[in-house]
Amino acid sequence: MRALVIDDSRAMRRIVGSILKDFGFEVREAGDGQQALDALQEGKAEGWVPDLCCIDWNMPVMDGLQFVVAVRANPELRQVTLMMVTTESETGRIVKALAAGAHEYLIKPFTADALRDKLALLGLLPEEVSA
Amino acid sequence: MTLQEAQPITALLDPETVQSIADEIWPTLVGDGEAFVPVPVAPPAEVVSAWVTITGPWNGAVVLTCAPATAGALAESVLMTRPPTVVDDEDVADALGELANVLGGNIKSVLPGPSSLGLPQIGSAPATGRLDDVCRVNGQWRGQSLTITVQGATEALHPSGTEVPQ
Repeated sequence: MRALVIDDSRAMRRIVGSILKDFGFEVREAGDGQQALDALQEGKAEGWVPDLCCIDWNMPVMDGLQFVVAVRANPELRQVTLMMVTTESETGRIVKALAAGAHEYLIKPFTADALRDKLALLGLLPEEVSA
Repeated sequence: MTLQEAQPITALLDPETVQSIADEIWPTLVGDGEAFVPVPVAPPAEVVSAWVTITGPWNGAVVLTCAPATAGALAESVLMTRPPTVVDDEDVADALGELANVLGGNIKSVLPGPSSLGLPQIGSAPATGRLDDVCRVNGQWRGQSLTITVQGATEALHPSGTEVPQ
């Protein structure tokens, strides 16, 4: 499994990336939505398409919601699972992200177990980790 | 709504709520068994602050303030680094900024909305305005002073902060 972790905080990228690596993911990082779109474009050229994008909401240049909209507008990225990982916990925000095309929503702070549960719901965990 | 018409933070939020949010954040972000203890200790001579702004029915900032050495230790804990790995200044700014961001996001969720959250900034804390528009919890982490302040906006909310670098 491959994951792209998108967050303007290096600390958060490291934390999320580290948990995902423990679950067997190959992880790449991006610091904002535009960098993530660039990473997807570059990845496509080398055959690296992520199964999962973990996306912060509040980021400079291009925020997480704009990124979700951009990915959903690209038919070539239809298979990528999008999960918001953010401090934004208002119901209106969650509805907005899901309506835009995000598949799941995880509110910071979260535990590794909470992330694992979300990945299991999405069918993105290897059996040995789910067990 | 103008600043004059807005309710002060003391009418919207109490220190116990701030503490309960910190109680949730510390073990998950700072580390297992870690806690922000709401027992004040002597404030440090030199401090650094990280904050995020909240814009909506209530306007202001959530500010986390501690000594530079405490900020460094917090960054090491958040990043789970072990010697000989040393965190650099950018790591410290980033980790402290992310703590302020998560605190701010969770505090925003208990305030009247809809509101938006600014990006984390670090530097000297913004000046506080009206006394009744400040909700402060003085506490400690690993015996070192740490303060969480939720303060209403003044005209100059960002006098000396810089956006946390990516």
